[in-house]
Amino acid sequence: MRLKKEDLNKILALLAKNRELFVPGQVRGIKQFKLWDGETPELDGENTVLPPKDILFPKTEKMYAYKTGTETEISEIVDAPERVIFGIRACDMHSIECMDSVFIREGYEDSFYARRRAKSLIVAVACPGAGVNCFCESMGLDPDAAPGADIFLSGGGEFYGVTANTEKGETELKKWTQYLTDGDVPKGEAHCSLAPAMSPELSEKLTGLFDDDEFWQEVTEPCLQCGTCSFVCPTCYCFDINQSSVGDEGVAFRCWDSCMFSDYNQNAGGHNTRPTKKQRLRNRYLHKLAYFNERHGMELCVGCGRCINKCPAHLDIAEFIDKAAEVCHD
Amino acid sequence: MSDIQSALHKRARALLENGDVEYVIGWENARGENKTRPAFIRRAEDAERLVWNRWCVNSTAKYLLHDRWPKGKIAICARGCDTRAINRMLSDGQVKRENIYILGIPCAGVENQICRRCAHRNPLVYDELLGEPAEEKTDFDRFEKVKEMQAMTLEQRRQMWEDEFTKCIRCYACRNVCPACNCRECYADQYRTGWQGKQFNAVENRVYGLTRAYHVGDRCIECGECERVCPMDLPIMLQTGRMLMECNELFGQYECGLSDDETPALGTYNLNDADSFG
Amino acid sequence: MIEINHSCTCNGNPLVPQVCRITDIRSETGDVKTFRAQTLDGKRPFLPMPGQLGMWSMPGIGEAMFSITAFGEDWIESSIKSVGELTEAMHELSVGDFVGLRGPYGNGFPADALKGSDILFIGGGIGAAPVRSLIRWCALHREQYGRFDIVCGARTIDDVPFREDFFENWPSMDNTEVHITVDRKTDNWDGSVAFIPDYVETLALPPENRKVVMCGPSIMIRLTTERLAKLGFARGDIITSMETRMKCGIGKCGRCNIGSKYVCLDGPVFTLTELDELPAE
Repeated sequence: MRLKKEDLNKILALLAKNRELFVPGQVRGIKQFKLWDGETPELDGENTVLPPKDILFPKTEKMYAYKTGTETEISEIVDAPERVIFGIRACDMHSIECMDSVFIREGYEDSFYARRRAKSLIVAVACPGAGVNCFCESMGLDPDAAPGADIFLSGGGEFYGVTANTEKGETELKKWTQYLTDGDVPKGEAHCSLAPAMSPELSEKLTGLFDDDEFWQEVTEPCLQCGTCSFVCPTCYCFDINQSSVGDEGVAFRCWDSCMFSDYNQNAGGHNTRPTKKQRLRNRYLHKLAYFNERHGMELCVGCGRCINKCPAHLDIAEFIDKAAEVCHD
Repeated sequence: MSDIQSALHKRARALLENGDVEYVIGWENARGENKTRPAFIRRAEDAERLVWNRWCVNSTAKYLLHDRWPKGKIAICARGCDTRAINRMLSDGQVKRENIYILGIPCAGVENQICRRCAHRNPLVYDELLGEPAEEKTDFDRFEKVKEMQAMTLEQRRQMWEDEFTKCIRCYACRNVCPACNCRECYADQYRTGWQGKQFNAVENRVYGLTRAYHVGDRCIECGECERVCPMDLPIMLQTGRMLMECNELFGQYECGLSDDETPALGTYNLNDADSFG
Repeated sequence: MIEINHSCTCNGNPLVPQVCRITDIRSETGDVKTFRAQTLDGKRPFLPMPGQLGMWSMPGIGEAMFSITAFGEDWIESSIKSVGELTEAMHELSVGDFVGLRGPYGNGFPADALKGSDILFIGGGIGAAPVRSLIRWCALHREQYGRFDIVCGARTIDDVPFREDFFENWPSMDNTEVHITVDRKTDNWDGSVAFIPDYVETLALPPENRKVVMCGPSIMIRLTTERLAKLGFARGDIITSMETRMKCGIGKCGRCNIGSKYVCLDGPVFTLTELDELPAE
């Protein structure tokens, strides 16, 4: 089945019915996912500056409300609206699969994430052209495929190929029939700009570099220990839990956190388990490229290149991969 | 610029070979075109990795705070802005002059908008100067952008900052790159105090932005690094610039980082102050 | 070699605490208090295995993870040292006050795998708290275990926690010897004055069919392990419980990782052999 690109806004109108529809577009000069305002979404060009993870894993999420005083009460906050995420690319779709593995599949189910995820429909679109720092193909992805999406709009040219990958997607597609026609769509031609030497073998060998202090000093020395890489990363999922009270009422919330921050591993007694930038950035790289693989069978990096685009010190995870590969294969 | 670069190679090599310094902070090429990153050269044979060109945008000075008690001297490539940053940290008692060897680099501006409003293209303090001094420029209004903002109505300004603080993701890149942000422990990291709420919203972002502006506003050396690194493109220099403009009007010509023993306007107690106390 | 089961159990939405009431507070030492809590309808908040963790919270202040040191039909308790904002506030609580509780988290001690063995329990300072949970559990099934040697090390005799257990309950248990040693002598103590590593070495217990369960400061663990190695103990027969900063307790928030392992999920209990395989953060 295929869909004429000029009919896209009609499909968006369908998707927006009784649901919050998120599409890529500009908000105050920053490309990110925003509520659809009837305008044509910005599907072309570089990917969004901010990843779509905020839609499923909000920067700040209220978990429960409490009252103190003569009696103490705690009540869970359930906030999971019906949503559609439209126009995410192969890399970002895979980042959601990473988060699914963390929050739903492995160990405990995280109710907050699971509820939002269950109420979200994801329509992914073929990558229109790689950004300057993209390398999803090196991470095993295909810019013209998103098997994890409910619906995938593939290919280039004036049509999208339309495929439903899930039951939810199939149900949705039934509403689209009047806009769908038979016919083939040529494979999308977008390819990555970078091709770092990532491989399953490297992922296994990386932890062997753990004690190579000189290697890590060189790799991590320019790092300023800000949270930019973590916050623009579509897969970074660490969070902090805190409370906010007014009088004897308040809410407990969780919010994004970054393993690069100095207080991340600060214990109440003052001890810090990773006090230096070398330890912190090493942990970040190894978590992305090795540790996560050990637990989840995939890397926690999707090759979107956002951290490379935005790192104030011009650190570059693709360059790191090549450097590590060189040392590991020596 | 290539003259400076070859002088830099020669001097860095010599300093390392002679054991005069432990390492040299400068810039090296990063992968991709037109991109460099801060470099930390420890071996004489690596001296040629250092580059000097218009893509050398990163401030070098802040890295002195990453090594407060160095084993040996640190040589540092420093442009005008970097030397102002070093003066800032010397004035604030954060680094020791005897720990630093400054390779001064005259700079006609790099690929950064801020360089158009640079009044100090030559290093203000150095142990040696590489190359010939650059011609200084004065044909600009230092507070041009701030004045544009001040020309807006109160409501427009309020809306503008509301929008900007909504955009902020509080990654703290502006703080971590800023040479005036040199507190051992930032108030925002003192999680036990609760001064900085952890929520990501416009209210907490404003608390952070304005607190930082007041903390550094009278010590800002106008390098523009905060704006360069901001992933959300916040006009952070307008905040510190507004503070500087005020200091300039109240106390006469006011620029920071010009010497190594400055006391900041808001940190100075003066009985002859224009305003009465209390 | 001890087989540790690295899986844990937990009820309901694992991130939302249930409101509980403090039913008892005992002062153990100058800065350690033991808090007992039950649900508002008088039940045990959850059933912990020895060595498992519970997240205690005070709404409006915060939450932190502690070892559950004991439980009964309708209560659980933790021994908490005053070191930070939350723990200082908890030390101000009175019986009848409210707290939040969620858990249990973590794997707990391998109580089954220890059956049939002699056990040397070592608790240094507040490290005695997690050890206590296992001793209490084993005491319920005393006949299934061999000889117990229980070592408690404290700064002075007045800093020994769980005094009723160390001085009354455990010395009277079958086939059990309790050994108290202190760092500093005081007028009210004429027993052993020695640091735990030295003391354990002089005890010179043979390693045959004996396992070690040891909790305390990391320096104590390291030095005692060296002495135990001298005595012939294998690292796979020494178990300890890790302590680190945790936020979620369910392996999601990322904070407590050591390499690919999460202390809150895969730990806190590990054999030293297992810890050897983890990166040295």
